[in-house]
Amino acid sequence: MLSQFDYVKPLVLDEALAALAKEDDSYVLAGGTDLLIMLRHNLINARHIIDIKGIPELNELCFIENEGLTIGANVVVNALVDSELVKNKYKALHDAASCLASFQLRNRATLVGNICNASPGADLPPALLIYDAVVKIASVDGVREVPLVEFFTGVKKTVLSDEELVISVFLPDPGENDSSCYMRQTRLKGHDLSTVGVACRLDGEGKVSVAIGAVATTPLRLTALEAEINQRGISEETILWASNAINDHIKPISDVRASEAYRRHMASVLLKRCLVTLTGKEV
Amino acid sequence: MTVAELKHDEKGCAMETAHISSARESRVVIDLVVNGERVIEEIEPNMLLLHFLRDKLKLFGAKESCGEGECGACTVLMNGYAVTSCLVLAIEANGAEILTVEGLSKGNELSILQQEFVFQDALQCGFCTPGMLMSARGLLDKNPDPTDEEIREAMAGNLCRCTGYLQIFDAVKRAAEREREEREE
Repeated sequence: MLSQFDYVKPLVLDEALAALAKEDDSYVLAGGTDLLIMLRHNLINARHIIDIKGIPELNELCFIENEGLTIGANVVVNALVDSELVKNKYKALHDAASCLASFQLRNRATLVGNICNASPGADLPPALLIYDAVVKIASVDGVREVPLVEFFTGVKKTVLSDEELVISVFLPDPGENDSSCYMRQTRLKGHDLSTVGVACRLDGEGKVSVAIGAVATTPLRLTALEAEINQRGISEETILWASNAINDHIKPISDVRASEAYRRHMASVLLKRCLVTLTGKEV
Repeated sequence: MTVAELKHDEKGCAMETAHISSARESRVVIDLVVNGERVIEEIEPNMLLLHFLRDKLKLFGAKESCGEGECGACTVLMNGYAVTSCLVLAIEANGAEILTVEGLSKGNELSILQQEFVFQDALQCGFCTPGMLMSARGLLDKNPDPTDEEIREAMAGNLCRCTGYLQIFDAVKRAAEREREEREE
């Protein structure tokens, strides 16, 4: 059924990186929930599968006070759902993880896989973008760090080269009095990518961050909109203004999930709901 | 290349699904525990766990339906976690403990969870039932006292096209109660 490939499961990172560098048509397997579908439909020509689940350092899910949270490449989405720390410190990420696909898939799918798949409608990227996530990338040539906002380059495209492997995602410690949420509109709960997904954050200094998925070729961090919201200051008027103004910052298309017009409408509605939830204002 | 290869048993039942690969190089040996029994088998790396269970071990409980992790009919427990076996390579299960629907009952005695699916009329055609049972088992093993919302969330990845979900929900909820009662006794 699946085309032929060979399979290796290295126990140390260097071995995995060497294997990636050695052969073309090599693919990294962690959760496999995207890779196996691509294999099934012959969308990729995988000759070599490198299973990274045997590499202990990629299992890291670790928070250090005043530094931040490191999420290794093998951390599955349900580990984030089950984490009280993620729930308390990075609420938007917890929200997004909780609504990703179905329970069984969350037992396999990894956060790092979700960003590497680079679907414009993926749930986790907006929640990571508002926390200024940094992607740690390794290859035989060494390690580099790329802000998540620069990681996505197009539909299913990232800055990763064929020889590179994402080893972890890092989220800085948001500190005290930080709150956030992720809200999405979807055709049916439990199975679909979001039609529109909005993540908002209100940090300890009262500054707002906004990121959105499924309204452009990549997930977007809306820094220009944030700047204007923060300049105006949070109020009922600002929330109403922002929920209209968001449409100047997105480029949705019409597809099987929704029309452009519906996406624009829902982006506006979801931003308003997020800001109302975070600020407690009534609009 | 893959070759369609359909074997039949003495009654003429199709014993192997039609996706056995022809190439025989690069075979690997996997060693795992399925329903409490140790299994050592030689397979090809591109074999799915679902096909390994069905074609190699003749455990036909896990069903292939969508093949993309959407429907949940192939759900089994892997090291205690519910997974869709259509999205797991058999070789990834090397060293793992797998529980399929065949491992739920003790001989001819149905488990409490299975009994409740019968009592609550939680099945009609039965195609989705093994997957439903395994998702429910995965939930109750980790969380013996789930809230209604937790039951719905754990079962959301399993589709049923005939019964509707209320009876299935009732069966899981009632099974959780009975299992708790049994533990307390």
